[in-house]
Amino acid sequence: MAVCLQPAGYRDTLSAEGQQTLEERAMAGSSIGRRKIVQAALYGGTGLALSGALSGAWAAEQVSFADIGVGDPGGDWSRYTKATGGDTVNLVSIGNAPSAILNVLIAGGGTKTYDLINIVGGMQKPLVENGLIEPIDTARLPNWAKDSYIAQYLKPGTPGFDFIGYDGKIYGVPTVLQGDSFAYLPEATGPLDSYGALFDAKWKGYVALEDNYTTAGQKTALYLKASKQASIGDPANLTPAEMKTVVDFLIAKKKEGQFRTIWSSFEQAVNLIVSKEVKVIDCWEPMVFVAKSKGVDAVYAAPKEGYLLWAMAAYLVKNPGRSPARTKAAYALLDFMLGGWYGATITDLRGYMTNPEAPAYARQHPGEFPAAKAERIAAIDAGVKKKFQQGGTWQQRWPTAVDAYEAEWARFKAA
Amino acid sequence: MSRAHERVAVWTRHGLLALPIAFVAVFLVAPLLFSIAIGFWQRVGFRVQPAFRLDAYAEFFGSVRLLVLERGLIVAAEATAIGLLLAYPVAYFLVFRVTRSAARVVLALFTLPFLVNYIIRTFSWSWLLSRTGPVNKALATTGLTHAPVDWLLYSDFAVLLGLVTSTMPFMIFPIYLALMGLDRRLLEASWTLGASPARSFLRVTLPLSLSGVFAALVFGFTGAFGDSAVPIILGGPGYQLMGNAITSTLDVLNYPLSAAMSSVVVAVMLLLLLCWYLAFDLQSFLGKMLRWRF
Amino acid sequence: MTRNPLAQALLWFVLALILAVLYLPLLPPFLASVGVGGPEGGDGFTWRWYASLGDNPLLAGAIASSLAAALITAVAAPFLGLLAAMAVRELKAPRVILLLVLLPLFIPGVSLGLAIALFLRELDLAPALWSIALVHILWALPFATLIILTAMASFDPVYLEAAYLSGAGRFRAFREIELPLIRPGILGAASFSMILSFNETIRTSLVQGPLNTVQTYIWSTYLQVGLSPALYALMSLLVLLTVLLLALSLAAGRRS
Repeated sequence: MAVCLQPAGYRDTLSAEGQQTLEERAMAGSSIGRRKIVQAALYGGTGLALSGALSGAWAAEQVSFADIGVGDPGGDWSRYTKATGGDTVNLVSIGNAPSAILNVLIAGGGTKTYDLINIVGGMQKPLVENGLIEPIDTARLPNWAKDSYIAQYLKPGTPGFDFIGYDGKIYGVPTVLQGDSFAYLPEATGPLDSYGALFDAKWKGYVALEDNYTTAGQKTALYLKASKQASIGDPANLTPAEMKTVVDFLIAKKKEGQFRTIWSSFEQAVNLIVSKEVKVIDCWEPMVFVAKSKGVDAVYAAPKEGYLLWAMAAYLVKNPGRSPARTKAAYALLDFMLGGWYGATITDLRGYMTNPEAPAYARQHPGEFPAAKAERIAAIDAGVKKKFQQGGTWQQRWPTAVDAYEAEWARFKAA
Repeated sequence: MSRAHERVAVWTRHGLLALPIAFVAVFLVAPLLFSIAIGFWQRVGFRVQPAFRLDAYAEFFGSVRLLVLERGLIVAAEATAIGLLLAYPVAYFLVFRVTRSAARVVLALFTLPFLVNYIIRTFSWSWLLSRTGPVNKALATTGLTHAPVDWLLYSDFAVLLGLVTSTMPFMIFPIYLALMGLDRRLLEASWTLGASPARSFLRVTLPLSLSGVFAALVFGFTGAFGDSAVPIILGGPGYQLMGNAITSTLDVLNYPLSAAMSSVVVAVMLLLLLCWYLAFDLQSFLGKMLRWRF
Repeated sequence: MTRNPLAQALLWFVLALILAVLYLPLLPPFLASVGVGGPEGGDGFTWRWYASLGDNPLLAGAIASSLAAALITAVAAPFLGLLAAMAVRELKAPRVILLLVLLPLFIPGVSLGLAIALFLRELDLAPALWSIALVHILWALPFATLIILTAMASFDPVYLEAAYLSGAGRFRAFREIELPLIRPGILGAASFSMILSFNETIRTSLVQGPLNTVQTYIWSTYLQVGLSPALYALMSLLVLLTVLLLALSLAAGRRS
């Protein structure tokens, strides 16, 4: 694209100007000659500046993209490279824990190495207050306006906005949207519809929780509130005392032998389902997809307490030293990630809902997405939309009392 | 002329020998001191401010996180002891009962599994030991059990198994080297003097191999204590060692607490090293080296 | 020393048993890489995961970084370890030097990685391959030093004294007398360093900068999206390659 923007004859003009300055330089010596040199230089300089502005990046930019794994379209960024006329993507796979993400930006590669970082959203508070990300100018993203999910689910003033915005400004581009609950093996448990199943003594020793106080903790709080076993104000933002109550409950269950284990990775959770090591497990939906593909009948529950909604956000790393060309390439990448092909690929590979164009793109390009895949993408998209319709609570990734959360969770694990 | 020459030679040599010390001093000691200092600093929002407060240490010692330290020390000691009980006989066997080339092959075989990523290997164990995994299936077919054995996985047994299998091979090699370097004439002298094989072993072989045993203990203990993967993959609900606990505090950017916990770990390890220094005369460890006078 | 053949066979059997337990966890990844079993079951025997290894540019870059870091570590760590071992026995404070060199072992991985990362940031040094190698060398140094020290501990300096008496310089005496005798220690230190570098994940993750290593890539995908059997295929290939290399070197050794 950049090459096409530059008319063929412009370079010739430039070299003519260049030639002109050479001639002027040859006349150096006389003051008139010198003034002409300065004039020629100015003209030449303006010409260069103009040509730079018109043609965009002369050299190809490589956008450094730190990603927790979900955002990798199988290594294929060719469509982005084609669309931007040569810009490439260097994807760096990082761990998904807040410590890994925050410390890799604060210390590790730092803000000077990475241009974009794609993680589970809701982390704006620590990221912004540590000066690690900058607001996104959505006007530079043509696909933003086309993404109706953003308008629908992530409106300013709603808890969804907290996944991409902070202090009224938008910081993250929502690349993935999803709702969490839990999974179970129906042949062993029959249909289940409440988070209470995770704590049901019937399945003692056959339950696993996620090692994450913002998901498992919040689900427990939702259940305790709905079943009136504890007085909890906002399950998404517990006070230290409320969190203590939740953890006391969990410790009691742990001591009874309710939990087989507390998992901390995708691979572990999938294994627990596929090997039928547990019957009820607090997990993410893609794990159920994998289990089903391996022939294990697992169901992702629709709990009456509601789903836990979340979104992945791609943030622009705050780097005042970044060149405008690189920033442009980064914005192009953000826009690309809101596009149809990327959305369809990620939905297919990872099992999450991405953007509204994804199912349509998949259907319209049977060469890239065979009918079965397109159907699957549409089904996943519809499934997640249904979850949003059924309603739920937005996950709170950085609660006000997050220190208390962490200390209490440590107490749960050490018990 | 030759005196100056000599002095230059000595200084170059000292400079060269000081290289690793300088390397460690710059890239390790300096960051370490900095991180120890942070353990005393104060948290202000997300930042840390220089101060001298014992809040972080108080929080660590007054909380359940201390249990993690205790458990770590105990399980690391157990794993190291088991590892040593396995590694020493293996090394002994390879040195005294097996040809050199066969020993080299076996040693290579012990290191091969480490080419497979550690996470993958540990995760493999969690599948092997699961309720529906091959081990339980084998036990069921042989009729030894009627139901899947639960304690094979997500238990202290699994953690010990994971730690021992990951550190024991590291322990074999230094003991092997120490035994290989043993002067056989000393053993022969012992036999000639009428000592039984067991006595010869206890009085001659074992003391002379202490340098290797020391290295093996260091490898084993630090490897087991510092393991972050085995506890969360093979351990019971919430099982964690110090590495996991520190990562958890970093999740909320609690730098002083994580620094305090790291400092405690380093202090404990240094204490153990000090005990060794005191209990064992460096002479027996460094052996003939201490006769070096140049 | 009489060698009871029955006792010998029994001991070999026990050794084989120990090795079998160590090799057991290698089987599931291999089975998964050819599609016939392992943690997530398989669709049937297939070579497609091996074939797909070339498709992922991310993995290719990660392999290159890991290999480069491992080679640098395998050379630098034994070298520094040798110097450190010599320093322990020659300079006046063996215990302090030993302590310094063993220090990287005592610091929890995540703390070490973070401390060095912050340190590098203060010095305004951008992380790259060199910072990954640095962290690996720091981690391997204590192992290398202890191994070489162990090898040296049984070396009698009287041989070197003899060499000096015969007129040899220090370096020549070292190179021709001591080095050949401690060579197994140095080679052991080198292979240990390579293995340690190849397995290093947590410390590396904080100083990797714009690079991926095989370990950090596996860690990242393991946590969030699940391991692809292609990674198992990679591991199996690596083991196979090393076995071949070992067999070749053994055959060459036997012939010479």
